[in-house]
Amino acid sequence: MRTFLDSIGYGGWILHALVAIPLVGAVLVALMRGRGARHLALAITVMELVLSLGLWWHFDPAGGMQYRAAVDWLPRWGIQYSVGLDGISLFMILLTTLLGPLSVIGSYNYITTRERGFYSLLLALSAGLVGCFIALDLFVFYVFFELMLIPMYFIIGIWGGKERLRAAIKFFIYTMFGSMLMLVAILVLVWKVGAATGTLSFAYDHLLANSAAAGPLAPWLFAAFALAFAIKVPIFPFHTWLPLAHVEAPTAGSVILASVMLKIGTYGFLRFAVPFFPEVALGPVVSGIMVTLAVIGIIYGALVAMVQPDFKKLVAYSSVSHLGFVMLGIWGATVQSVQGALMVMIGHGLSTGALFFLIGMLYERRHSREIAAFGGLARVIPLFSLVLTVVALSSIGLPGLNGFIGEFLVLIGSFEAYPWATGIATTGVIFAAAYLLWALQRIIFNRLDNPENEGLSDLSVREWLVLAPLVAGMIWMGLAPGPVLRRMEPATRQYLEQTRPGSTAADLSAEVGR
Amino acid sequence: MNPLDLSTPTGITVALLPEIILTLGALIVLLVVAWRHRTAGDSRLAGQLSLVMLAASGAAVAWLWVGRARAAGIALMIAVDEYRFAAIALILISAAATVLMSLRYMEREELLAPEYYPLILMGTAGMMFLASAEDLMVLFLGLEVMSVAVYVLAGYDRRNIFSSEAALKYFLIGAFASGFLLYGIALVYGATGQTNLVLIGAQLAAGQVPMMATLGLGLLLIGFAFKVAAVPFHMWAPDVYDGAPTPVTAYMATGVKVAAFIALTRMLFEAFPGTVQLWQPVIGVLAAVTMVVGNVIALAQRTVKRMLAYSSVAHAGYLLVAVWPGTRMGAGAVMLYLFAYVLTSLAAFALLASLGRGGERDVRFDDLAGLADRRPWSALALALCMLSLLGFPGTLGFIGKWYILQAAIAEAHYLLPVILVVTSVVSAGYYLPVIMSMYMKTAHAEPSDRGLYLPRGAAFVVAVSLVGVIVLGILPSGIVDVALRTAGSIAQTVAPVAGR
Repeated sequence: MRTFLDSIGYGGWILHALVAIPLVGAVLVALMRGRGARHLALAITVMELVLSLGLWWHFDPAGGMQYRAAVDWLPRWGIQYSVGLDGISLFMILLTTLLGPLSVIGSYNYITTRERGFYSLLLALSAGLVGCFIALDLFVFYVFFELMLIPMYFIIGIWGGKERLRAAIKFFIYTMFGSMLMLVAILVLVWKVGAATGTLSFAYDHLLANSAAAGPLAPWLFAAFALAFAIKVPIFPFHTWLPLAHVEAPTAGSVILASVMLKIGTYGFLRFAVPFFPEVALGPVVSGIMVTLAVIGIIYGALVAMVQPDFKKLVAYSSVSHLGFVMLGIWGATVQSVQGALMVMIGHGLSTGALFFLIGMLYERRHSREIAAFGGLARVIPLFSLVLTVVALSSIGLPGLNGFIGEFLVLIGSFEAYPWATGIATTGVIFAAAYLLWALQRIIFNRLDNPENEGLSDLSVREWLVLAPLVAGMIWMGLAPGPVLRRMEPATRQYLEQTRPGSTAADLSAEVGR
Repeated sequence: MNPLDLSTPTGITVALLPEIILTLGALIVLLVVAWRHRTAGDSRLAGQLSLVMLAASGAAVAWLWVGRARAAGIALMIAVDEYRFAAIALILISAAATVLMSLRYMEREELLAPEYYPLILMGTAGMMFLASAEDLMVLFLGLEVMSVAVYVLAGYDRRNIFSSEAALKYFLIGAFASGFLLYGIALVYGATGQTNLVLIGAQLAAGQVPMMATLGLGLLLIGFAFKVAAVPFHMWAPDVYDGAPTPVTAYMATGVKVAAFIALTRMLFEAFPGTVQLWQPVIGVLAAVTMVVGNVIALAQRTVKRMLAYSSVAHAGYLLVAVWPGTRMGAGAVMLYLFAYVLTSLAAFALLASLGRGGERDVRFDDLAGLADRRPWSALALALCMLSLLGFPGTLGFIGKWYILQAAIAEAHYLLPVILVVTSVVSAGYYLPVIMSMYMKTAHAEPSDRGLYLPRGAAFVVAVSLVGVIVLGILPSGIVDVALRTAGSIAQTVAPVAGR
């Protein structure tokens, strides 16, 4: 496989193609005539997925940052369109490209108005997401970070539910607030580093190597970065935009939002906020705050999810809880905990994506998402119920499915540093079981007492096409996480070395051995 | 091109060629309309002739710019540098766009008095003098020529009470501001014995800054604050912008702003570079207050035109942040931001003119509901304008804001940038509802734009502006360099604060 890929120069163009294809596709879809928009969008996203799959084989697990490429953009200010890929971003890209075609298929029936606009925005969104994950220049990252906002804003605002306008503007303003302060922080860092080294550059490596130049401003700069990402994740007190946006967005919007967009926040911590300012970020004060907020998020998200009458809102709050585990893992700062955080990011992407698709399918049949409106579905639509059960179990973290690995690694890895916090977080797993199993019981078991539920049809072929890859991914990652972990490990180690200048690779491997 | 000796007739004629052509042009058009001022066709003819004059003046600027014209020694009366050429180019762009969007508009609103066009040309000549002034007397003359023309233009719809109110208000406040400015000029002259900007700068750098000069500087700043509508001297702007016919509003929001900001920047850089510590706090406070007040009040508006008026106040605040550092980068940021703002505003007002009647005062956000279905291209264009005004990446508005932030941060100052970005987020609260109305709400029975369309001239303005906004927003390298280079051409005789 690798030889074949090399023979077509795969490594040279793949990252550019992954951004350019959906962008060009977005324009083509917007301009095309007739009603074939969804087919064209599907073709483009499938092409994107197929191309990106090559990365799985071509990516060198032992290498660090790969596929680097840079083109001058604003040379006078040291701004380049500079991209690259490592073990952290690889899986985020694959997650994005996998969900692309699935969201298109999943929207085939759901989106009936202004189809061209919808698919065009969906494609633009995935270009922005991919761009965010591969950007190695802070200016480029910022641009992609902001650009994602617009398509999502329109997707929520045009095709969303009743409260869509409020949801859209709240989503936009929250995110923009964080990112604008981050822009100031980026500029300050660039000028500080520029003054110290004599080279004005927005390049990631340059800033990373010299971020000590921030001096006494480091806590402020970290705060600005952290705020931008904390809103995106979202971490506990900044989460209020999330339930609204998730619930109001159309299915594909919720899926992309939960599965990929939230990960930009945690990715931002891993890639920028923590490595730039490790002394601040992993110092006792900030660590204390972040770990506390993470644990509050885990417990609070779970508890609030438990009492939601709306299934979609339940899943939305469960995201707050799951992302809390990611934050705990990042601040655990061991190889296991960071790998665990990455695994939760992927696992949450698969299972929450699937849950939102399932809720969308239910909504298309019944035009309701109220848990109380259902009951006894297992008798009417057994296959749907089976898939829902598997997905819910994966989200809960049942061993053998993907959710387990990540949360387990996070808890193990963080226990040493934060025994109390980790102990409390563990109860979050139990709460997760409680809210999801309880919801399952009320939806697919219990008595079939609502006559409206009697005539429902089971999963169609199109719906299987959406769900099968996600379920397969969950089982595969749950049974054989090795290949995934192996590809993440070098990047994780490198990340930890950056954040702990004192420690050496030997310490880290000793840690893994334990 | 050889350096121009401005003390010789040839030298000064060449240096003033764009202004001379335009003034002559204004007189020619005025003569033509003296005979032909009855029909719609006459009015159109006057407009087309004006475009020709503006183009001729533009060609003269281009010739000077390409030929790298410069003055021999200290420029007397009039600056001959790239900063001036760029500013004049911007002013001519805004005048030409105004004429283009007026052609059909004046017929539709039955404002068939073709003297409108010579007034625009004269106002434009005044702006050009203002932006080129190397001497406080020229500065004042330019300001007055510009202002008098714009007072008349603001009240051009004389059957409309709001238009008359706008003219009267603008005139009274404008006269008041001119008073401040003139007094300031007198005091500065009294303190230094000079009216030439560079010579004042040299005089002030030589020793202690006399009290009288400080006072003069303060009065000058107040005068300019009125003209650029900086808070707390902005009270007139919303009513005037709101009441004037929409093309005139576009002209005021773009042309007047360019001329005043360029003149302010040049004056501070050339005459007061050694006294940064005197004016920096003033500009800083003005900028902060203007950004906060402009954005917050804009949030409360329900009609598009008034929202744009307050947003124009807010943008004056951003521009003051660019003036604040007193560096070459800052001057470049002023130019770049003005360029972005001019292009975007012209497009926005041209679109607004096609969305209502009777001065478009009554076009509420709700009237835009469903525009995306009725007129998809107009809706897309207006959405792009809003994003550029918001400073969203991918548009020139973002590049402008980024550059302002960078200019302030390069001086290790962080408060104004933070205020700038936070108030920008506030501005999303009024720019986004426009987009929201057009795309996310359904139209009601009687939209304000019933039977209206975007005429060809206005469509041309919108298309060209927005292509510029997007293309330069994505590939900004060239324009950013040009802005910085023009800023570097400002005369600096005194030990520059502007190291960068």
